[in-house]
Amino acid sequence: MIHPFELHRPGSVAEASGMLRELPDAALLCGGTELLQVMKMGLARFEHLIDLKRLDELRGIRRTDDGLTIGAITTHRELERSPLIGESYPAFVEMEREVANIRVRNMGSIGGNLCFAEPHSDPATFLLAANATLELATADGRREMGIGEFMLEALTTALEADELMTAIRLPALRPGEQVVYRKLAFVERPAASVGCKVRVEDGVVREARVAVGSIGDVPVLLDAAANELVDCSLSDLEAAGERAAQIIRDECDASDDINGSAEYKRHLAGTLLRRALRQVAEGATHAAS
Amino acid sequence: MQQASQTRPQLDVRLIVNGRPHELRIEPRQTLAEVLRGPLGLTGTKVSCDSQVCGTCTVLVDGLTVSSCTYLAADAHDREVTTVEGLANPDTGELTVLQQSFIDHAAFQCGFCTPGFLITATALLEETPRPTREQVIEGLEGNICRCTGYQQIIDAVMTAAERSASS
Repeated sequence: MIHPFELHRPGSVAEASGMLRELPDAALLCGGTELLQVMKMGLARFEHLIDLKRLDELRGIRRTDDGLTIGAITTHRELERSPLIGESYPAFVEMEREVANIRVRNMGSIGGNLCFAEPHSDPATFLLAANATLELATADGRREMGIGEFMLEALTTALEADELMTAIRLPALRPGEQVVYRKLAFVERPAASVGCKVRVEDGVVREARVAVGSIGDVPVLLDAAANELVDCSLSDLEAAGERAAQIIRDECDASDDINGSAEYKRHLAGTLLRRALRQVAEGATHAAS
Repeated sequence: MQQASQTRPQLDVRLIVNGRPHELRIEPRQTLAEVLRGPLGLTGTKVSCDSQVCGTCTVLVDGLTVSSCTYLAADAHDREVTTVEGLANPDTGELTVLQQSFIDHAAFQCGFCTPGFLITATALLEETPRPTREQVIEGLEGNICRCTGYQQIIDAVMTAAERSASS
């Protein structure tokens, strides 16, 4: 049984932030798929839960001048079913469709997933590759932060004590640009995950981002691996991908866990990157033809 | 213990379970599975893994499948909850097409996972009345059965879809 707590339902972001300041030992609750789980297991105990599910201002998907803005309490299921995302960012829908299982997707929110900072997060790896930014708010104001700066270590984020995540901003894909996400999962959460964002112009990779997640404490950007891909023609991408995979196997932080040894998971991540790049090459060839 | 329960936070909720409203005083910490199986006596909903993986505690809340083991009963306030007990016709006891198809295909052995499979498949067929076999497999992948090997369950859902389409 969960340790007794009091349930609070703020009517605004400012009120929620005020509650975080005033209530001792409080946590934010949304879908509860992460938080209630650890509370049931006795790994976390809070006297007060502040439920954000009724804050409609934090729900939904909007198109903006430079991309999509996703309210933090939007559920995985709402994202995978969104026609707006489906037409402008199909890779994001594909990733969301494979998060955990349908019950978790029905309840779990994208913001809750990111704020809980469980190391094996599909959206975190994807959004890091996609160069998403996060909107954070307190009762006093809002700020924006790159997702790479947000995740500090396992289960720890850059959120201040009275701060909550309000939105995720996903920059629109530019011409020639694609995001590909690949993972391998033996259980509900991925053992290894790789996201890459690549811009191809005239058959040559002009820009690349490579994110590796789930194998260490937080998803990381691997600039050295991405640099192997830049200026590479599509016909050479396979070879460049192997060099980039070697960088992952040599340099990426990983830890042993239920999914396997650190060395094994680095190997998985390298293989996932090579597969992702194969998909990039196919996508770019298809777009050009 | 009596004193302790009085000092613990309490909450009044109204749950509409299988079409019937229930006014209840609960604790915020209580899960929907606890309230269904305890005060409401609806023990058709089972709890196994208690971590949202196995699917046996699946119920519908406003038509969406949720793991009732990790869903606060407080969150079901004023919502429609459907458990396995709510599938058959409440007046005649007549089984749904899906339930009958599970029997016809012997889609269970021990039966512990069956309530979760029935609820998940009910939602699946609601959304996709004529699913492909692939869609059924994908739709049921969050439910675990350790007896049947799944084939009979998938067959049962496919047959239910065919029978509903032809009726």
